[in-house]
Amino acid sequence: MTSIGKDRPFLALVLALVVVAVAMPLLAGTPFGLSRYLTNAIGQLAAFAVLALSLDLIWGYLGILSLGHGLFFAIGGYVIAMYLLKHSFEVTGTVPDFLQFMGWKEFPFYWAGFDFFPYALFVAIAVTGLIAGLFGYVSFRSRVGGVYFAIITQALVYVAMLLMFRNDTGFGGNNGMTGFAVAFGWPMGTSGMITALSVASLLVLAAVLLGCRLLVGSRFGALMLATRDDETRLRTLGYETLRLKLGVWCLSALIAMLAGMLYVPQVGIINPRVLSPELSLEIAVWVAIGGRGHLVGAVIGALLVNAVKFWLSFAAPEVWPFILSGLIVLVVLVFPNGLIDLAKLRLVRPMGARRMAAELEEAR
Amino acid sequence: MKHWFLPLIAGLLAALPIAAVAAPVDRAGLVAKLCGDAGQMGEAGTALASIAATGDDADRTWAAALPRAAIDRKLACDEAGAVLTEGGLDAVTRAPREAQGTPRSPLLSLKNRPVFELADAAFALRTAPNAGQRAAALKILERRPALIPEGLLERAAQAEADAGLKAQIENLAQSAALNASDPAARIRAIGRVAENTNRRTLTQLTALKNDPAYGADAGFRQAVDAGISRVERGIAIGDVMATLYNGLSFASILFMAAIGLAIIFGLMGVINLAQGELIMIGAYVTWLVQQGLRSVAPGLLDWYLILAIPAAFLVTAAIGIALEAALLRHLYKRPLMSLLATWAVSLFLVNLVRVIFGTQNLQFETPFYVTGGVPVIGDFIFTWNRMFAILFAVVTLALTWLVVRKTPLGLNIRAVTQNRDMAACIGIPTRRVDMMAFGLGSGLAGLAGLALSPIYSVNPQMGQNFIIDSFMVVVLGGVGTIAGTVVAALGIGQINVLIEPLWGAVAAKVIVLLMIIGFLQWRPEGLFAVKGRRK
Repeated sequence: MTSIGKDRPFLALVLALVVVAVAMPLLAGTPFGLSRYLTNAIGQLAAFAVLALSLDLIWGYLGILSLGHGLFFAIGGYVIAMYLLKHSFEVTGTVPDFLQFMGWKEFPFYWAGFDFFPYALFVAIAVTGLIAGLFGYVSFRSRVGGVYFAIITQALVYVAMLLMFRNDTGFGGNNGMTGFAVAFGWPMGTSGMITALSVASLLVLAAVLLGCRLLVGSRFGALMLATRDDETRLRTLGYETLRLKLGVWCLSALIAMLAGMLYVPQVGIINPRVLSPELSLEIAVWVAIGGRGHLVGAVIGALLVNAVKFWLSFAAPEVWPFILSGLIVLVVLVFPNGLIDLAKLRLVRPMGARRMAAELEEAR
Repeated sequence: MKHWFLPLIAGLLAALPIAAVAAPVDRAGLVAKLCGDAGQMGEAGTALASIAATGDDADRTWAAALPRAAIDRKLACDEAGAVLTEGGLDAVTRAPREAQGTPRSPLLSLKNRPVFELADAAFALRTAPNAGQRAAALKILERRPALIPEGLLERAAQAEADAGLKAQIENLAQSAALNASDPAARIRAIGRVAENTNRRTLTQLTALKNDPAYGADAGFRQAVDAGISRVERGIAIGDVMATLYNGLSFASILFMAAIGLAIIFGLMGVINLAQGELIMIGAYVTWLVQQGLRSVAPGLLDWYLILAIPAAFLVTAAIGIALEAALLRHLYKRPLMSLLATWAVSLFLVNLVRVIFGTQNLQFETPFYVTGGVPVIGDFIFTWNRMFAILFAVVTLALTWLVVRKTPLGLNIRAVTQNRDMAACIGIPTRRVDMMAFGLGSGLAGLAGLALSPIYSVNPQMGQNFIIDSFMVVVLGGVGTIAGTVVAALGIGQINVLIEPLWGAVAAKVIVLLMIIGFLQWRPEGLFAVKGRRK
C-alpha cells in the first residue's frame, strides 16, 4: 500500500477534477466557458465515474462481481426523482403526467414526506441498505460467489426492471418520471443549475475517490485484498470475512445510490431502462476497461467509455456497439488489468519489451 | 360418438318439417314474394332456407341461385316476374329471356339481409363442391344457430364426406337442437352437447336455465343440471391438463436454451453470455434455409424445419468453436473476464444481425405438422407446435445424453469437467476437448433457436429474453449436469405456468428468483452439484 502522497496518478486525477470543478463556474459566461451541453455531459460522466468506483470497490478489491449495481443506481435515481416531483408539485401545483395517465388525482400515500430532502435521502439510504444488506447477507452466508453471484445479481436487477415496468406501482411505470421543474427552490434547466449540478457531481466524485483511496489504503483495505486473494486462509486465521464482505458490499451499494441521485437531475428523466441488465453489465465493462482494482482506472474507464459513447451515439450510432465490443475484447485479451496497464508501461517508467511481457504475465 | 344414433335423431327431428313442406314449391309465388315489399321478401328468405333444409333435389337446385342473386342485386323484377341478370335467365322457368320494360332490383333491408345470407350459406353447405366452401358456409351458419331451419344440419352431416367438417356440422346440429320444438329432442340434445366439454357449451347450457322449460319441466331441469356439472368437471380436468402441457412445453424451451449453457459452464466455468445470441443465430439460419428452399425446391418448403437441423447445429457450433479458439482459451483462469468477453461477443452478434437483416421480426412459414391441434377435454387443445418443441427437446436430451455418456468425446468432457489437471496428466487433450465441448454447447443453442422459430417472434433481440431464464435453470440445476438441467427446467417451467395466471408474469419471475436464492442457501452449488475440485 503506497501512501497517498506518493500515488501520483491518484493525485493528478483528484487535482484535475478539482480544477475542472472550480474552473467551470468561474469561466461560465466568459468566452472560455463551456457550452450547456458540455457542462451537462461532464456532470453525467462524473456520475458514471462514481458508479464505476462503487463497482470497483467491491469487484476490484473484494473480487465480488455484481452485475446488478444498476439496481442501487436506480434506487438513488428514483428517490431523487420522487423528491424533485414532489418538490415541483409544492411549487407549481401540477400533478406529474404519469399520475394523470393512471387517472390518479394525488400522490399515493407512500410518497408522503418526499418533498423534504433529508427524509428522501434517509429513505434512499434505508432502502438501499436494506436490500443490499439482506441480499448480501443471504448470498455471502451461503458462500455464493464468483459467477453464481454475478448471475443472481443480474437476475435481481432484471426482476426489478420487470416490476418497475408495471404502471400500477405509482413509480411512473414504463414511461418513467420526468418533468422536474425545481430543485432546492431553484428552477431546473437554467445554465446556473446545470453548472451547479455538474460541479456537485465532480466534487462528489473527488470526495468518493478520496474516501475509497483512504479505505483501500488502510489496514481494512489490506484485509479486503486478502479476502479477494485467499478467503479460506483469512478465515482460517480467524478473521470474520462475512461481516467484512457485507460491509463493503453495502458501502458500494450506497455509493452507487449516490451516483443515481447525481445522475437523474442532470438527464431529467428516470425510467426502468436503468434497471436493464445491459446497463449493469456495462458498469463492469467500464471498470474492466479502465482497470479493475485501481480506483483511478475505474474512473478513467467510466470517463473514457462514456465520452466515446456520447460522441459516437451522436455521430455514428450504429457503429458504437461494434466499437464497444472491440474495445472489451482488446482490453480483456491484451491488457488483462485494463488501460491502467498501458499507463504503467508508458508513463511511469520506460521499459523494454521483455520487462513488459514479464509484467503482463505477472498480472495475469 | 355413437354414429348410429345421429341418423336416428335426424330422422326424428326431420319428420315434422318434412310433413309440413312436402307439398311442391310454388315457384312463381316465391319469385313474386322476392319482388314484393320487405315483409314478403322476409317470408321468401325463410322459405328459401327451409327449401335448403328439406326441399327435394329439383327444388333445391332451382332455388340455390336465388339468395345469392338477391344479395348481389342481380335479380331484375319486371312485369313478367323476374330475371336473373347473370346469364339472362327467367327466375321461375330458367329459360333464357330479356328483362321487359324497366326492371328493378329489389334492395334487401337490414333485417332481411341475414336471413338471405343464412339461406345462401345453407344452400352452399349442402351443394358446394369443395370442402373449403362448405366450411365457410358453416361459419356463417354458426353465427345464428337460432335461425337455422330444422333438419338442415342433420341432412348436411349425412351427406358430408369430410370427417372434420362432418364433426363440426354435428356439433352445430346439437347446439341448434337445443332450440328444437320437441322437449324430448331438446333433452337428448343437452346430453349430446354436454359431451363437448368446453366453455362455449357451458355458456350454451347455462343459458338454458333462463328457458321457461327449466322451471316447468323437471326432466328438462335435471338434464340441464347434469349437463352443466358434467361440462364443468370436464373443463376443470382440461384446465389442469392444459397447465401441465403448457408447463411442459415451456420447460422444454427452457431446457433447450439452457443445456448448451450448462455444458459450457460445467466444463470451463465460463458463463457464455452470447448463448442467447447463438439461439438467435440458430433461428436466423432456420429462416435462411426456409428462404433457400423457397427459391430452390418449393416442394420441400414444408420440411424446412427438419432440413435446417444440421445447418443450425453446424453454423452455431462453428461460431462457438471459433469463439473458443480466438477468445475464450485465453480467459480460463479468469471466469469473470470471460463473462465480459462473451457479452462483447453477444453485443457484436446482435448488431451484426441487425445491420444485415434489420430489426423487424422474420416471417416463417408454418408447416402442416406444427399447425392446429386436437381438442382433448375442456378447453385443452393438444397443439402441434408445442408438441413439436417438446419432442424436439426430448430428442435433443436423448442425443446429448448419448454423446456425453457413450462417446469418447463425452468421456473426455466428463473427465475434464471433474478434474482438468488430472485429465491432462493422463493424456486427455484438454484443449481440444474444450473446443469440441464449446462447439457442442453452441450447436445445442442453435437447435434451440430452430425449435423456437415456430413459436416465438424471431428478431435480433430475441436472445436476451432467454438468457436470464436459462441462467436460472443452470444455477438451480447445478453446474453441467444434464439431469440437473432437466429437473430445473421442468420445475421453473411449471412454476412459471402455475403462477402466471394467478398473479402475472412479473410475479412468476420474482417468485422463481426468490425461490432460487432461497434454494442456494440450502445447496449453494445447485441441485446436482458435480463433485469436482473446481471452485
